[in-house]
Amino acid sequence: MEPSLASRKKSIAGPSQEAQTPALTDGVDRWWLLLLAVVVVTWLLVRTRPDPYLRIFTFLLDGVRVTLGITVASFVFIMIAGLLGGLGRISKNPLVNGAASIYVELIRGIPLLVQLMFIYYASPIVLRGLGQRLIGVLPSVAQWLISVKINPFAAAVGGLTICYGAYMSEIVRAGIESISKGQSEAARSLGMSYFQAMRHVILPQAVRVILPPVGNEFVALLKDSSLVSVVAVADMTRRGREFMASTFLALETWLMVALLYLVMTLFFARVVAYIERKMQFVR
Amino acid sequence: MSDSIIQIENVSKRFGHVVALDNVSMNVRKGEVVVIIGPSGSGKSTLLRCINHLESVDSGRIVVDGIPLTEAKNIDKVRAEVGMVFQLFNLFPHLTALQNITLAQRVVRKRPEKQAVELAHELLGKVGIPEKANAYPAQLSGGQQQRVAIARALAMQPKIMLFDEPTSALDPEMITEVLDVMLDLAREGMTMVVVSHEMGFVRAAATRIFFMCDAHIVEETTPDGLSLATCKEERTRQFLSKILS
Ligand SMILES: Nc1ncnc2c1ncn2[C@@H]1O[C@H](COP(=O)(O)OP(=O)(O)OP(=O)(O)O)[C@@H](O)[C@H]1O
Ligand SMILES: [Mg+2]
Repeated sequence: MEPSLASRKKSIAGPSQEAQTPALTDGVDRWWLLLLAVVVVTWLLVRTRPDPYLRIFTFLLDGVRVTLGITVASFVFIMIAGLLGGLGRISKNPLVNGAASIYVELIRGIPLLVQLMFIYYASPIVLRGLGQRLIGVLPSVAQWLISVKINPFAAAVGGLTICYGAYMSEIVRAGIESISKGQSEAARSLGMSYFQAMRHVILPQAVRVILPPVGNEFVALLKDSSLVSVVAVADMTRRGREFMASTFLALETWLMVALLYLVMTLFFARVVAYIERKMQFVR
Repeated sequence: MSDSIIQIENVSKRFGHVVALDNVSMNVRKGEVVVIIGPSGSGKSTLLRCINHLESVDSGRIVVDGIPLTEAKNIDKVRAEVGMVFQLFNLFPHLTALQNITLAQRVVRKRPEKQAVELAHELLGKVGIPEKANAYPAQLSGGQQQRVAIARALAMQPKIMLFDEPTSALDPEMITEVLDVMLDLAREGMTMVVVSHEMGFVRAAATRIFFMCDAHIVEETTPDGLSLATCKEERTRQFLSKILS
């Protein structure tokens, strides 16, 4: 039913437009070359000097998996938190709006590292205290609260979600507010409910607006995920520290860690740019 | 009045300190084409938008097709019965003309896709652009966009159509194509409330004309009575002398 994106763009782009935006029709995005260069450098190091670079590389691979896993898992929850937070920020209900605003303002004022420390080290103490209070009232719940162990992976995902969710809320809010009021009025005048109008009219348009900042957030999240190494998650950064501690090869270790982060961030930045171009449409 | 489909009783509306509607009353009968004219800022759009509750009234009462516009439940019901056409079209830019027309049919009326598409094609034919079904709004001229917007509203099979200056954002050569569609609708017996200063349309289609000024309806007349000589109010005459020339 719907024409493919490629044919749709072809039919939209007139001659004048091609002249204005050569990047759109150029095909190859030159920044892929930078990524290629970094990949080649990494590969050359591993091939020409397997000792120590291949050893480091192999040791870090587990960490790469954890870093990607944490980033992707967190990102899913961040999108949900950002959508709820963003809708809350534009809500006319003072209670919902107030709660969303306080969340955003408070969380944005606390460093991510401190939030992670709090969740991993401080929140068990809070839960234990709560459990001791409740022991007479709800013994089973209290027992659970006292004995609960914070899973490092969950703490990491939770911390990143709470923190990045606040920034994402602001991005979503700005995206929704950028869609003209006439759009929701047209939708509502056709009898659509608030949520139908959001789902079918406002959000599909807002997505195109917020895609660039959301892509930036993903890349920033990938880098900030290195902070979870402080809460006992064996991500790439933590694996790097472990390797260095046992071999004292500081330069080689951190060079490899940096190169691997670069490969990932450059790659995702290109993917985001690619999706962005695909989703463009003429207003 | 038993046959009135829109009853507006003593409606007032203000935006902060600005009074947009001051104790306005008006009745529209089934099948009538009511035209509202008046100077900029006199409250024409606000009155129209109150009819499908895009604006809430501060006081007074509006009943549409027997449904009082009070509870939220009623509002969605009324909106599905009342089509609205905007000055700036407000088509959904991420959807094709066809999808613009089928969206509300599917999500509000819960019509099956096939049926919705059939009706959409039929309506695109009716507004004279059957070949534009798969075009996006940005690929259409202003006049074509407005005709898609009319088809989109008609797809809900409304009992009433509201038009807020539907041609004032259009180039002169596109105005007639939109007015022709509106004239056809009027001839078919659609109840219409139209804010427009297109005197050709007003003369050809209007059953009654209301003149608004400073948040009031100051005069009611018919196309035959719409001349400088017959209008009683000085303000109406002043305004008419501008738009009739
Ligand atoms: N959302 C709003 N917020 C504040 N003031 C408003 C709003 N909508 C309308 N007004 C004010 O209410 C008054 C009536 O506006 P309205 O749009 O109904 O006039 P109008 O007769 O349609 O004018 P025009 O011919 O320029 O469209 C104006 O003074 C306008 O500035
Ligand atoms: Mg107006």
